[in-house]
Amino acid sequence: MFDVKGSMRVITAMIELEVRRVMHDRTELYFRAVQPLLWLIVFGYIMGSLRAIPTGGIPYTDFILPGVIIQSATSVAIFFGLVIIWERESGVLKKLVAAPCPRFAIVVGRAMAAGVRALFQVLIILPIAVLLGVHVILNPLYLLAALAVVFISAGGFAGMSIWIASILKSRERFVGIGQVIIFPLFFASNALYPIATMPAILQWFSAINPMTYMVSATRALMITGDLSTIWIDMIAILAFDVFIFWLAARDFRQVIN
Amino acid sequence: MKAIEVKNLSKKYATVPALKDVSFSVDEGELFALLGPNGAGKTTLMRILTTQIDPTSGSAKVFGNDVRSQSGEVRSQVSYVPQEMSVWSDITAYENLLIYAKIYGIPAKKREDAIQSALKTMDLQNVSGRMVNTYSGGMVRKLEIASAIMVEPKIVFLDEPTIGLDPSARKTVWDKLRWLNRNKGTSVFFCTHYMDEADLYANEIGLISKGRLRKIGTAEELKSSVSNETITIEATGLDSGIVRGISGLPHITGARVTGKTLRIMAINSDEAINPVMNLLISTGVKVKSVSSSKPSMDDVFLKYTRGKGKEQETAIADIKRARDRIRKA
Repeated sequence: MFDVKGSMRVITAMIELEVRRVMHDRTELYFRAVQPLLWLIVFGYIMGSLRAIPTGGIPYTDFILPGVIIQSATSVAIFFGLVIIWERESGVLKKLVAAPCPRFAIVVGRAMAAGVRALFQVLIILPIAVLLGVHVILNPLYLLAALAVVFISAGGFAGMSIWIASILKSRERFVGIGQVIIFPLFFASNALYPIATMPAILQWFSAINPMTYMVSATRALMITGDLSTIWIDMIAILAFDVFIFWLAARDFRQVIN
Repeated sequence: MKAIEVKNLSKKYATVPALKDVSFSVDEGELFALLGPNGAGKTTLMRILTTQIDPTSGSAKVFGNDVRSQSGEVRSQVSYVPQEMSVWSDITAYENLLIYAKIYGIPAKKREDAIQSALKTMDLQNVSGRMVNTYSGGMVRKLEIASAIMVEPKIVFLDEPTIGLDPSARKTVWDKLRWLNRNKGTSVFFCTHYMDEADLYANEIGLISKGRLRKIGTAEELKSSVSNETITIEATGLDSGIVRGISGLPHITGARVTGKTLRIMAINSDEAINPVMNLLISTGVKVKSVSSSKPSMDDVFLKYTRGKGKEQETAIADIKRARDRIRKA
């Protein structure tokens, strides 16, 4: 019943669309790279020199790079709903909904397109981080796996963004929501400090915070090389993606009504 | 085979009725216009026919497939050009067609041919490498139609295809749509509130207002259903005997003299004029001038869509949309 071939076709076409868009105009990528680099250079350097946070022996800038990358990738993704709102106001979504392709694939395809945009973002941040002296594991397999984690993490957050867009339907309401989602999740995760240093209530929240698992997986693959718990992270991230895609696909019809 | 068959179709948004008990059919190969004021239900009907939204009750079939139970089959046979811009403006025209070709699943081997042939049909071959945000409104419309016909649909649905376009771009769009209809046999179904376009280009017109389909027929049928044609003759020497004589002629439904003016109501003024002139000359009347007037599409529109629905509410959105398009031009 479920059209796998058709869905893959639509998803890859959506990803190709995003790659072509990025190729035509890269200025947004450069501007968006400024904020994560500030986290790394200013915040990372100052906090690191205080030596106040127990990072398990790794330099503080190394410790926060995965978190900064995930924060940057999910920020790109959480605003992707704005694209959906634009496409709703224009006729693109109406045309897609009348096209012979599964609606589930439209949602996943658009979400994964945001994953591509996030990857481009990482490809700008990562070389600069290495130049700044962050010790990234340069094993290509580990790097590819880390990029895959970023890709599906951003995809999940873009799915959330599409779901929010189907409910809010207007760009004014949308803009505020993005920051309200990303920053609490960022601060209530292991991005900037180990979970053990948090108050109990935040520790509890960080356990159900998808960003915790995203940062944890990226840190294992990029910095520590300790893959002992990565399977838990992967299960958590994939479960988050599947749940969000289901939710977004279910309510996607509302976007066009 | 009927291209479209609609029976007792109704649609409510929450509790607001948008379509009320609409029934009609369109033959394959037709160029059909749905004409009505803003807010009449044109877009709702078109979106139901293209499986975007479900009707509240009643049934609709496109080439024999039900829009609800066989929506997949319907989608693979139709193309839809919405009123708003439906191409991505931050990539080139060629890339737009390439992405849509992939989404629609045109096999890789046929893809390039399909794209080039669509570009050629719409005269966009030389500008296909340009970014869409450098295109004029007319070019964007042509690109949208190119992407609609690239998949070789049996029927193309167009919602206000020429809104916001200048007269020459409007004409180009219509020349292309007519060419497709005649040479490829593609059925065309379009919504418009431009009476002249329905009159000039459609084989058949459906008049819709306040969610009801008021009348359906060819432009000629609709016009003759509104009122008779009028022949006005200025002459000297008119009398009541002549009026009686004229009233008895074929195609004439009435005649009246006021001073030097003779007004004749006729079913068909072209057929009626000769016998009338013969009679006038034979009775020695001196004719100064003759004119005739036929009911226009305006008369038809006003008669069937009087009390024009939600015109005031939608007017602002409509103007904004048209201006957006012009600004892009």
